[in-house]
Amino acid sequence: MSDFDGEAEFIESVARELRAPVVLTPALDERVMSDVRGAPYGASDGAPRRRFWLVRPVTLRVSPLGGLLAAAGIAAVAVLGTMAAGGGGDGGATAAVAATPAPAIRELPTVAPVANATGPQQVSFVFLAPEASNVSLVGEFNDWDAAATPLARVDARGVWTVTLPLRPGRYLYMFVVDGTEWAPDPAAPVAPDDGFGVPNSVVTVGGRST
Amino acid sequence: MTLRSRCLMLAAALGLSLALAPAAAAQDPRLEARVDGRTRAQLAPILDSARRAGLPLEPLIDKALEGDSKGAPRQRIVAAVRALAGTLGVARDALGRGASEPEIVAAADAIEAGIPPRQVEVLRHLLLSRPITVPLAVLADLVARGVPPDTAAYAVLNLARVQAADAQFVGLRIDVERDIGSGIAPATAIAVRSEASVRDVETRRAESRSAVPGQETPPTP
Repeated sequence: MSDFDGEAEFIESVARELRAPVVLTPALDERVMSDVRGAPYGASDGAPRRRFWLVRPVTLRVSPLGGLLAAAGIAAVAVLGTMAAGGGGDGGATAAVAATPAPAIRELPTVAPVANATGPQQVSFVFLAPEASNVSLVGEFNDWDAAATPLARVDARGVWTVTLPLRPGRYLYMFVVDGTEWAPDPAAPVAPDDGFGVPNSVVTVGGRST
Repeated sequence: MTLRSRCLMLAAALGLSLALAPAAAAQDPRLEARVDGRTRAQLAPILDSARRAGLPLEPLIDKALEGDSKGAPRQRIVAAVRALAGTLGVARDALGRGASEPEIVAAADAIEAGIPPRQVEVLRHLLLSRPITVPLAVLADLVARGVPPDTAAYAVLNLARVQAADAQFVGLRIDVERDIGSGIAPATAIAVRSEASVRDVETRRAESRSAVPGQETPPTP
């Protein structure tokens, strides 16, 4: 017999021992269960008593109407949360950032590459105008109506912003400061001559058009 | 009522509707609300002509509203609308009769940006089986970002030659925008990204072919 055979036999004998069923006496089960029943419930591990209600199962009784209302409420919260996050997912918010007179923010108006999206995406426009009393956004999406899309001032430094849903496409736009001054977005691409001597900015909302 | 009188009435109704059609084109409620009557009167024949030629009216109405909103004088508004109508016509001719309105508008944007109509025509032929609104919009965007028109056209046509998907055209635009934003010259950015995009399209296609049994890519000689 070789060394290898001896080793194999030894391993087999150990395995036989391990495979042998362990016989437990019925008294063991009873002893364990009586210990469990006797332990103080919820505080046996020394955890604070306050935690107890967190792990205790609770039965809720809800009528079908109440269930429907609760589901609607959860759905509404989810939708509002998604909108607040700027659309989320691939259709994340687009930021068209502008500044006047000296731009402090130089972010490009980046657009998420949403190849299959055809629905509106939330697009944010930001403008710096510390001295302005009001700022509005005008463009192809609102018939160039200076009253249609006012920006809101969000801080003391003169940051103005507005977010609106735009369908995938390419839009020309500008900002109107105090109702008279037309300002392009210095951080966005500029479209060729508009025919009126005031160059427009361009924002492209990604997606597949037809 | 005799058959003859019925035919006369029908012809009269048809004539009346044809006579009123030009006015209808200029009677867009937005124009009526914001553009003065004399300007509308001068816009009417342009809009009517565009309508009869099958061109999209919305960009023309939008251009008139833009001019009015910017306080442009009447003649300038009319000239801008007329010029845009001409560009839309050129765009439509380059795309062919079956072009959709979004395609015509996108092609007009590209042509206004400096892309020769001939390049639009080539793009149409390269991607015959699908809408080319996205590639055209990318073309116009690249030029707006400072990429020379001929270089932008070369890059987009190269992607079209390998039948890139819309998302890949958009990806090229985003990459170039990012590069330009980080200080790289537009011409350099497009040269580098264009080549990489074409390679990416070809690599993905080769991978998808090799993933399908029986369609292994031929060995490279």
